[in-house]
Amino acid sequence: MSKKQSKNKHLIRLAVQIFFLALIILISVNHFRSEQGLAPLLIGNPSLHAVCPFGGVVTIYSYFAEGTFIPKIHQSSITLMWLVLGLTLLFGPVFCGWICPFGTVQEFIGKIGKKIFKKGYNNFIPSVIDKPLRYLRYVILILVVVNTAISAKLMFSNIDPYFALFNIWSSEVTRLSLLVLGLTLIGSLFVERPWCKYLCPFGALLGIFNLFRIVKLKRNEKTCINCKACDRVCPMNINISTSKTIKDHQCISCLLCTDEITCPVSNTLSFSLLESKNPTENSGNDSGVKVKESISGGGK
Amino acid sequence: MKIKSIHVLLAIIVIIGGGIFLASELDLYNTTKIRTPQKTVEGIYDVIDMRGSHNLEEIEKYYQLPASSVIEAFGLRPDTIPEFFQLKDMKEIFKPVELEGGEYIVETDTVKVFTSLYMKIPYVSDETFYLPEKTVNYLVENDKISGEEKEYWLGHTFKMEYLDSKYLTASEFTRIVVEETEGFVVKGNTTIQELLDSGITEEKFEEVTGFKIPDKTSVSLRDFIIDKGLEFGEVKERFKE
Repeated sequence: MSKKQSKNKHLIRLAVQIFFLALIILISVNHFRSEQGLAPLLIGNPSLHAVCPFGGVVTIYSYFAEGTFIPKIHQSSITLMWLVLGLTLLFGPVFCGWICPFGTVQEFIGKIGKKIFKKGYNNFIPSVIDKPLRYLRYVILILVVVNTAISAKLMFSNIDPYFALFNIWSSEVTRLSLLVLGLTLIGSLFVERPWCKYLCPFGALLGIFNLFRIVKLKRNEKTCINCKACDRVCPMNINISTSKTIKDHQCISCLLCTDEITCPVSNTLSFSLLESKNPTENSGNDSGVKVKESISGGGK
Repeated sequence: MKIKSIHVLLAIIVIIGGGIFLASELDLYNTTKIRTPQKTVEGIYDVIDMRGSHNLEEIEKYYQLPASSVIEAFGLRPDTIPEFFQLKDMKEIFKPVELEGGEYIVETDTVKVFTSLYMKIPYVSDETFYLPEKTVNYLVENDKISGEEKEYWLGHTFKMEYLDSKYLTASEFTRIVVEETEGFVVKGNTTIQELLDSGITEEKFEEVTGFKIPDKTSVSLRDFIIDKGLEFGEVKERFKE
């Protein structure tokens, strides 16, 4: 696969990310226009809470125990939650890697960080601190769900940087959430997706699905040349080159590591539905392993 | 089977896009405000969840508090339309009052306290310690408060003043269209009927909007304008001219 073809594949995810980011910005702008007495543009005027599937998670107790939603949460959040969970069961946290606008914003800022720090980027935090911190988001998930169930209030919006970013003009945004937003955006210059890695409660929930997702990310040990390009390109710093099936709870299903985009050897690292066959069987007349024309990677 | 980016893209379109479409068809994708307040453990609608966006009709529906009681207790115009009058509209009617060194605005929390007293639903406010004299008198006259409660509220009243001096005397409900010396002001919730009542002729309406007056004149001008794909701000300015 040529470098150009590989780049085109990468553009598919980028296009999806830009689409959802633009959609959320449009919703935010429409809210602002609505408050000014102006007509919404292109789409209606849904609440930002209404298009966030995590709203479905935080109201889940109220929904099942009392049949109601906590204030500011809408039916659409529950529906979106089920749809995203379904998508995640199939492919893992595609929502994080492809859809979440806040993940996209962090990723875009990270591109600046990459230019500044080159190979040092995304490698600032020592492993001994980084590894336990990765579980912090589960603590936050439990705290948010339990406290929301007890208080019946949307407490997470008080610290939610996503809400702060897309409602920055609103008086509803708390100082704490602005602080978290500021720290996350600055942190994105040094660490790829810091909010996703350490703090995002929805990412924590979706990450669990990596353990049993139907479409698995698999590495063919027989054909792997141990170039570690997959490790270097992974935004979540997962050690892909040492696993046969990648079940890491931090994987965001971005596909950057796969042989479609980065891995230089065909049929070596890919998302597959069934057990991968021997590459010699797959490649037919090409017989044997096919190394790509150019080895990409080294994204960090 | 190898899954590529294009397959993930298709899955997003089918699962998320298709799911939203299907849910919309099944009325399971409501992105606008959920009107239903939450219930207490006793199974009654919780006063704490009463919202400024609730109208008097919804207050009656959920809390069994007659809209006519709110209208009378708060001195609203008798021709107030419960379906359109939202609790937050009160702050456009009543002047803020100075109470114990702070400014108090009659709006949603005031109605929460009133509902709590009228319907005997527990609610402890952390901002309303005084009620309008008219409201307390209404509660007393209707035997809704007694004993220490009655004693407390009779000692914690204030006089309500209207922002618009013509509020009680105008021939029509003037919550939204406010008569002013230089003309009138069209606000976000102005209904078409209120616009007509303010002196706008059918011809003028058609000239400005390009549309005939709808049969249902109780709809807000803003909703009508947006529905027709026009810019509310521009239309508002043209009516002002």
